[in-house]
Amino acid sequence: MSNSPLSGAGMAQAVPARPAPRSFKRRSKRLKAALPYLLVAPAVIYLLMITLYPGVYAIIQSFHEVKFGPWKPVGFANYQKLFGDYQFWGALWNTLVMGSIALVLQCVIALALAFHAYRDPWVKGWRIIFLVPMLFMPSAVAFIFKLVFLDGRIFSDILIRIGLIDANLAIQSSTWMSRALLILADVWQWTPFLFIIFVAALQGQDEEVEEAARLDGASWPAIFFNISLPMMKPVIAVALILRAIDITTMFTNVFIVTKGGPAFGTETISYFIYRTGFKFFNFGYASAASVIMLILTIVIAQMVVKRAFVSARS
Amino acid sequence: MAAKRKKSRGENLVLRYLILCGWALFCVVPVLWFLSIGLRPRTEIITPTPIYFPTFSLDAWHMIWEDWPMGKYLRNSVAAIFGSVIIDLILAIPAAYSLSRFQYRGREDIGFYILSTRMMAPAIVAVPIFFLFRNLGLLDTIWALMLIYAAINLSFVTWIIRSYMLDIPKELEDAAKTDGAGELRILWEIIIPAILPGIITASVIAMIFAINEFLFTLLIASTPNAYTMSVALANFTGGSDGIIYNAIALVAFLAFLPVFVVVVAIQKHLSRGLTMGAVKG
Repeated sequence: MSNSPLSGAGMAQAVPARPAPRSFKRRSKRLKAALPYLLVAPAVIYLLMITLYPGVYAIIQSFHEVKFGPWKPVGFANYQKLFGDYQFWGALWNTLVMGSIALVLQCVIALALAFHAYRDPWVKGWRIIFLVPMLFMPSAVAFIFKLVFLDGRIFSDILIRIGLIDANLAIQSSTWMSRALLILADVWQWTPFLFIIFVAALQGQDEEVEEAARLDGASWPAIFFNISLPMMKPVIAVALILRAIDITTMFTNVFIVTKGGPAFGTETISYFIYRTGFKFFNFGYASAASVIMLILTIVIAQMVVKRAFVSARS
Repeated sequence: MAAKRKKSRGENLVLRYLILCGWALFCVVPVLWFLSIGLRPRTEIITPTPIYFPTFSLDAWHMIWEDWPMGKYLRNSVAAIFGSVIIDLILAIPAAYSLSRFQYRGREDIGFYILSTRMMAPAIVAVPIFFLFRNLGLLDTIWALMLIYAAINLSFVTWIIRSYMLDIPKELEDAAKTDGAGELRILWEIIIPAILPGIITASVIAMIFAINEFLFTLLIASTPNAYTMSVALANFTGGSDGIIYNAIALVAFLAFLPVFVVVVAIQKHLSRGLTMGAVKG
C-alpha cells in the first residue's frame, strides 16, 4: 500500500505540460494513449453505479420474495405471477395508449404552431409565451389540472354556463375522461418542448432553397410539406424520442391527479412499480417488473435511439 | 430578413394569428387562474360554484413562510440543485473533451452508453437506488438528492458540452499544441472559455430537470428534512382540510420565476440544449 507518491495517476496527470526528463518519456507516451480513457472514466463509472448496480440488484432481487424480513429465493415465481397479472398488463397498456395519444397530439400541434410562428416577425415573443407551461414544476402542473378539472370543477362550470352540459362532469369515475385529463396535462406542459425544437429547425434551414421554391410559385404549405418537413425528419425523430422517453415514465401527474384510478384505468408502469414496491412493500415483485422494463428499454434504445442520433448529426 | 418574410403573399394571416393567439391563451389562462388562486383566501377556492372574482388575500403568503419551513425547502432545493450541477460539470467536461477531441477505440460505444442512461425510467431503478441509499445511510438527506440529480442529468450535460466542443475549429488547438501546451492546459485555457455558452446552457437545463424531479425525491426524502419544493408541494395538505391550493400556487410561482428569467436569458441556445446538441438553433 505504501507506493511512492509519484506513482499516483493524479500526480502524473497534473504535470503533463512540463517537459519531462528523458527517462519518463516512455511513460508519458503510455499516459498519452490512456488520457482519453482517463478523462471519460469518472463519468462512466458514475453512470455505471446508477445503472449497472441497480440493474444487477434488481435482477437478483426479482428472484426473491422481499418483504420486511430476509430475502427468500423463489425462482421465477415473481415473473410467473407478473405475466398473469392483469394490473401489470393494464399498466403497460395504459402507458402505451396515453403515451402515444399524447405524443401524436403534441407533435401535430407543435408542428402546426412552428409552421405558423417561424416566419412571424414576433417569433421570439411567441416562443417565450409558449414556453411558460414547460417551466412550471410538473407537480405544480398536476395541481393546476386537478383543481381546474376535478376539485374546483371550473371546467364543468364553464361548460354548464355555455349550456353544453347540465350537471358537473364525473371525470373521476370515467376511465377515458381521466385518461384524457392526464393526456391534456401532458400536452399542455410539453408541447412547447417540441415547438422550440421545431422552430429552431425551421429557422435553421437553407433559405435559398425556400426562396427558389417561392419564385417558382410554390405556396407556403407546399414548401412546408415538400421541402421543410423532409429536411426536418431527423430532428423530429430525435425530439420525439426524447419526448417518448419522458412520456413512458409518466408518474407525477398520475400520483397527484388520479392515483391510477378509476379501477387502475390510468395506472402507468411507473406508478405500478411504485405501488407494488413502496406501498405494498413487495420489492421482489416490483423488481421483476423493473427488469422487464429494463430489457424493453435496452432493446428500444439499441434499435431506435442510436440510429436517430447518428442520422441527426450528419 | 423578417421584413422580407412578412411580404410573403398568399398566406392567410388571419388563420395564423388565430392559431397562435389561441394557443397562447391556452398556455396563459390556466397560469393566470392559478395565480388568482394563490392570491385569494382558502374559503374561496373550492366552492359549490367557482368564484371568478375573488377577494384579494395574502393568507397563503404568510402561511408558507410561517406554518411551513418553506425557507428550508427552498434551501434544500437550491443546495441539491447547485451541488448536482457542479458534480455534473466536473464529470462531464473531461468526458465531453475525451469524446469530442480524441480518436480511440470504443469511443462511439462509450458515448452512446452515456446517452442511453437518459432512457432509464426512474421507476426502473427506483427500488435498488432506494436500498443503495438506505445502506449508505443517505436516505432523507440532500446529499442523496444531489447524487441522484447529478446522475439523471449527466448524460444530458455531457452530450450538450460535447456538441459545443465539436464546433471548435481544430486549428485553434493545433496552434496551442505547437506552442507546447499539454492536453489538459488546452482544455482549461482554450476549450472551456470557448464553449462557455454551452456550459451555461447545459447547467440551466440540468437545473430545470433537477427542480422538476419528483419520483426519486419522493422516495429519498421521506420527512420534511430533505423535502424539495417539488415534493413539498405534494404534501401541502392540511389533513382533513384537504389540499391547500393557494399555498401550492404561490410556491409554484416562486419556483417558476427564477427559472423563467434564466431560460429567457439563454433562449437562443435552448433548442440545441434540449436535443442534446442534435439541433443547432
